Amino acid sequence: MTQSNFEARLAQARESSTRLRDAIATVIVGQNAVVDQVLWALIAGGHVLLEGAPGLGKTLLVRTLASSLELKFSRIQFTPDLMPSDVTGTNVLVMDATGGATGRFELHRGPIFGQVILADEINRATPKTQSSLLEAMQEHAVTIAGIRHVLDQPFFVLATENPIEMEGTYPLPEAQLDRFLLKVMVPNPSEDEMTAILARTTGHAVEAPKSVLHRDDVLALRALCRDIAVAEPVLRYAARLIAASAPDSSTAPELVRRGLRYGAGVRGGQSLVLASKSLALLEGRAQVAFTDIQRVALPVLRHRMIRSFEGEADGVTTDQVIEELCRVVPTRSGAVEQVLQGSR
Amino acid sequence: MPPESTELGRFHRLFQRWARQIRLRLAARSLLTGLALGFALAGVAAAALWWQRLGSLRPAAAALGAVGVLVALIVATRRRLSDSDVALYLDARLESKEAISTALELGSSEDAGAVVLGDAVSALDRGDPKRARPRVLQTLHALAPVGVAAVVYLSLIPLPPGPAVPPAAPGSSRVQLANLQGLEKIERLENLDARDAEQRERLKQIAEEAKRLREELAKGMEKREAQAKIAKLRDDVAAERLKLGDQKNRAGLEAAVGKLAENKSTRDAAKALGDGDLVEFDKKMQELANKAEKADREAAKQALDEAQKAAREKGAKELAQALEEQKKLFEKREAKAEALRELARGMKGKLSEEALKDLEEFGQSGSPEAQKRLAESLEKALQGMSEEERKRLAERLQKQLEQQPGGANPMTKEQIDDMAKRLGTPEGQKALEEQLKDLAKPDASKEGEREKGLGDAERGGAEAERGLGGMAPVPMEGGGPSDGSPKGPGDKGGKGDPGSKGDGSGGPGSKKDFGTGDHKGNTAKLDTKGLRSKANGKMNAGAPMQGSTMGRAPSRPGETANQAGTGALGQAGPSELGGVEGSEVPEEYREQVGRYFQP
Repeated sequence: MTQSNFEARLAQARESSTRLRDAIATVIVGQNAVVDQVLWALIAGGHVLLEGAPGLGKTLLVRTLASSLELKFSRIQFTPDLMPSDVTGTNVLVMDATGGATGRFELHRGPIFGQVILADEINRATPKTQSSLLEAMQEHAVTIAGIRHVLDQPFFVLATENPIEMEGTYPLPEAQLDRFLLKVMVPNPSEDEMTAILARTTGHAVEAPKSVLHRDDVLALRALCRDIAVAEPVLRYAARLIAASAPDSSTAPELVRRGLRYGAGVRGGQSLVLASKSLALLEGRAQVAFTDIQRVALPVLRHRMIRSFEGEADGVTTDQVIEELCRVVPTRSGAVEQVLQGSR
Repeated sequence: MPPESTELGRFHRLFQRWARQIRLRLAARSLLTGLALGFALAGVAAAALWWQRLGSLRPAAAALGAVGVLVALIVATRRRLSDSDVALYLDARLESKEAISTALELGSSEDAGAVVLGDAVSALDRGDPKRARPRVLQTLHALAPVGVAAVVYLSLIPLPPGPAVPPAAPGSSRVQLANLQGLEKIERLENLDARDAEQRERLKQIAEEAKRLREELAKGMEKREAQAKIAKLRDDVAAERLKLGDQKNRAGLEAAVGKLAENKSTRDAAKALGDGDLVEFDKKMQELANKAEKADREAAKQALDEAQKAAREKGAKELAQALEEQKKLFEKREAKAEALRELARGMKGKLSEEALKDLEEFGQSGSPEAQKRLAESLEKALQGMSEEERKRLAERLQKQLEQQPGGANPMTKEQIDDMAKRLGTPEGQKALEEQLKDLAKPDASKEGEREKGLGDAERGGAEAERGLGGMAPVPMEGGGPSDGSPKGPGDKGGKGDPGSKGDGSGGPGSKKDFGTGDHKGNTAKLDTKGLRSKANGKMNAGAPMQGSTMGRAPSRPGETANQAGTGALGQAGPSELGGVEGSEVPEEYREQVGRYFQP
């Protein structure tokens, strides 16, 4: 591949992401940060856990995204009685025309065989059912009756969680939360956004956007994302951040020592770099900057840290911890920081 | 280095240019920082040197500025930014989103590398060097001129006055004396004829102590230590002087004094013995031995005998021994005086008026001075005699001898007999002259000689103490053997060296005065209408007052508690002796404190 090709791909990726944003914006009012973060995950090849109160447009966002991408969309409404086979699918006995059994089984594919999967209210299903989805997310394949079925690419899961009405829910175990690249908090709309939403949703139904990106485009974006360069100091910074999130680390700030029981692991570091690459790509850059790491840190790390009892009692949130980490952990070496301080 | 025509070459060229500038400026900043800190330290050092009054070293403090530069140079070399660090710095300053760092790392080998390289070149190319390069001057650098000014100022101003030197601890100054006057008198104690082996050993030890002190003084020692040692020597000498009155001999002494006091003729001698003044005691006994009246002499001998027995009975062995010796000496003196008188009688016609007076006084008072003068007059008269007269003198002496009943003085008789035989010859005359000289010499008792030697030693100690700047007065001689030292009438104290003319003045204890009193116990009549009261101090007349102390008067000026008490008081606190000297009481107050604790 030549130099001009990479530049062209970069420009194309930028143009694609702009088109996608625009398409989503035709349906979704505001929520730019949420849309951006969903795009980071899409391009990085990760999955997203959306958390927000009901009615904030989480499902609509996912539907719109799926429409814009011209990808196979599936929606699974998680309920306590949902079975794993309801997610993955099952073999059913084939009947003949007379209604008699043919003695053959045929795979009846579940919603997991889509490409953009909306796992709505994932915390309402039992852990067993949750794990059937999480396996597919990790492996990009499902095993039904001993036969492994590879899922179509791109495979992109967007799960939603409702932070209220926690009765009868099954919070996702931390180990499984780790499978999500990002945990995106969907905020309440601002007054302007609310006004626009009200205006748009109380008239005639808005048409779903036309698809602006095809399967291949998404896969190309994902490939390009992997080509984004990361300098060693940036990688070291990501590593320092992850290391400092461990409460028993010598570099951990006081808030981490007090507020956390476990910090982010290796998967957190990988996610941090991947999400940063995605962000750099969306901004048309071929390299990751320190600021990229800092910008993706919150959605990437917030669900990978386990708070301590003391932290919970004190009301320490993982977001506060991550912000503290970004503030405390130096981006550059001490000598460079010293020179920079002396030159300001 | 890749060719400059390529993007990579261009990047490297731009990057190196930036890197050189940055490193140079950082090095300059580091040097200035070193210089500033060095001069700041130099200012502090100059201030410290000024404070310590090391004036000549103050300008040298400026060298710390050069040291600071040197250290900064080393630090700058060690901390030289690597290319990677420079790239990171540039990324931060040029806001190139780590394009330069990534480009430096990747070159153009990677897919993204070319794009990153382009971004990096663009950032380097359009970057404003004035805005991006590190600042050389910093606020800290202002310390350099301040430091220089401080060094210059502190080098020019006068040094502060020195702190007052704290006074040395009293007596802690060192003294070095090749020959301390007075010590030789103590050293001579080893030659003194000791009463017994124990005393000889004690005297030898005292003398050796004095010699050691002399050697230490020659090498140099602390003044207070020297003073303490001298005080110790003086105490040892004083203790030795008072030995006959110590606890062991106390009862015997009192008994002996009592016996002597019973006899009128020996009352004065008893008083002298009670005072521990053995020289005076010896003198009184000499006077008694010289007396013409045989009854007086016999009474004195008897009193001596009784005193000796009483002392022995009370266990005062040393005192009894001394009294025994005194008795023998008394007899010898008696014989000598008798011989002198016989000779004087033989030469009666040839004696001058003055010599006759001396003969009379010698017979009455028995004073050693009169004895000396009489012997001298006889010698003079003998020289003036013709050969014929000397022969007649010899015949007269022979006749006197024949007329003497018994032979009360066998020695004298033999001597005179021999002398009479030889008087006819010039050798005989010479021998008689020698004999007369010998008669003029008083026979001092050994105890008296010891007392004299110890007195000399004590005075020597006082002299030595004064030689070290102490306040000790030299004790005056309270008496000595009557070796021809003329004393004024009533004098009991002053003395000259043997043969010298004493001035008769005495120290404490002297009876010499120039008042109108006659010392006979009579006072002038009081102009009153009648006696209201009468003091009668003649209880137990002649005997020492009960509970009175013997020996040195405790209240002599300048003395301290560092002396042994006598009698029962001597046992009061022997362990306390020297306590004041050994304590940390300053020298100036020792006397005062010593007086307070004095027994």
